Amino acid sequence: MTTPHNSDGNRAYPSLMMRLYSVWYRHMRVYRSNLLSNGLPPFLEPLIFLAGIGLGLGKYVPSFGSVPYVGFLAMGLPITTAMMTASFECTFGTFINIEFNKVYDGMLAAPLSVNNLIIGEMLWAGTKGFFFAFAVVVVAVPFGIIPLPGGLITPFIGFITGLMFASLSLLVTSFVKTISFFNFYFTGFLSPMFFLSGVVFPVGELPQPLRYAAEALPLTHPVRLARALCLGELRVALLFDVLYITAFIALFGYLALKRLRGRLID
Amino acid sequence: MQPFAISVQNVHKSYGKTRAVNGLSFVVRQAECFGLLGPNGAGKTTMMAMMYGKAERDASPAGVIDVLGFDPQYNPLNVRHLLGVVPQDDNLDGELNVYQNLSLFAKFYGLSGNAAKAAIERLLETMELTDKKRSKIRELSGGMRRRLIIARALLNDPKILILDEPTTGLDPQVRHMIWDTLRLMKKNGITMLLSTHYMEEAFQLCDNLIIMHKGEKVIEGRPRELLDQSIEKYVLDIVNKEHEDRIKGYLDSPLIRADLSKETLHIYSNHIDTLNEIAARLEPGDYFLRAGNLEDLFIKATGRALDDPA
Repeated sequence: MTTPHNSDGNRAYPSLMMRLYSVWYRHMRVYRSNLLSNGLPPFLEPLIFLAGIGLGLGKYVPSFGSVPYVGFLAMGLPITTAMMTASFECTFGTFINIEFNKVYDGMLAAPLSVNNLIIGEMLWAGTKGFFFAFAVVVVAVPFGIIPLPGGLITPFIGFITGLMFASLSLLVTSFVKTISFFNFYFTGFLSPMFFLSGVVFPVGELPQPLRYAAEALPLTHPVRLARALCLGELRVALLFDVLYITAFIALFGYLALKRLRGRLID
Repeated sequence: MQPFAISVQNVHKSYGKTRAVNGLSFVVRQAECFGLLGPNGAGKTTMMAMMYGKAERDASPAGVIDVLGFDPQYNPLNVRHLLGVVPQDDNLDGELNVYQNLSLFAKFYGLSGNAAKAAIERLLETMELTDKKRSKIRELSGGMRRRLIIARALLNDPKILILDEPTTGLDPQVRHMIWDTLRLMKKNGITMLLSTHYMEEAFQLCDNLIIMHKGEKVIEGRPRELLDQSIEKYVLDIVNKEHEDRIKGYLDSPLIRADLSKETLHIYSNHIDTLNEIAARLEPGDYFLRAGNLEDLFIKATGRALDDPA
């Protein structure tokens, strides 16, 4: 075997990058094994949504500035999709791996730390965010409702959105004892956020107190960032969004690691 | 190389107010099979989890765990890389097939390409799973799953195997096959830490063992010597106590030790004549006369009370 040996004759365990990659690889492998059922819906869903809105509702709604309504919506949609897929992955998915099929217990017998498991899971959620956002862009670009080349940056914001909601969802998961509790998180928090974060209408349209609330919500920031980058409208104020996103991932990621460690190690 | 593979000194572990492990100490020498015996809830699984950093011992009173020169609590990755773990629960990855389960773990150990492939094929062969290579986990029987978990634990040529009740719930064929594999591993110089409550398993495999009860060590020794020294040679099991009054006079004899379970009276003695004399007063079919075994020792050490967790 080609495993490297150190001076004590003890074999060295794989490097941090390899460990994170192997955890990421596990999730990718599982996802890939159901390619059709996993790979198709991300493309179909935005198609149905955009068709419904674009052909129907869009006719009744005026343009926002130079952007027709369906375009406005289409630029935010990749981000909400990334949010939802990362959130599913890191709530139901993680909970099942910890509590039901004990996959994480098994993995902790291999040279992987709890941090490796959790950060690998976050990176995978980010990857799914990228892929789902990419799928929306692919569907929307031929209709000319997401502009190029700006739209090419959107999947990367999808990745970052995935990391944000992976951190938050993992922290939520660390508190959850019964799987049905996640319904509160989805219908009580994530779904309302969809309407308040500048996806379906600009945050500026909200009454003043709600505007502050919208600024506090995590989804607002990647949506604003993605739309600005799509349209090539760079401005200094976007740095605030970048700062928010960075701090959000760092804070909730740290708390999730701390809490899940207690859950996985007795 | 240090003479021991594992050293555990004064280790405590509590969950809230429950003391799972209470001041446990033992040493496992290189290339021996060491048994952790005890009823359910004795603290065997907790002790094994602390061996590879899946559980952390209490900070106070301070204890020491040394596995191949590493403290699993602070260097879990070093330890896990040198260890193979066969857990009590089936924690195979149900989303992947047999081969993928092994190739994923090969990746975790940093094995890749041909080295990984060769190791996997060899282990599938050893564990008689080659035909099941592409099967889904849910299509496997309990025995096959267990063999796959053992194959997984052997992937990285471990120096130590941790086996938590490896044959619980398996049929005799699979059990004997697993015993043979473990004997082969021992011959290859792998140190083993085995928990079980099958006394025969311990007797077949272990060089040394401890019997645990309520988180503490109650007996330690080599199985053969323990049998010779710590338990009477013969046992008379009286299953029908209808004629108990006929033998009352014998029960206070210093030559015997009597122990009453719910329905059966067990009389232990080194003197076969005394037991024969008692048996002669009973009806045939009321009793069985047999040699004392490790199970008798186990019960002597841990009592007859059922230790169900509250």
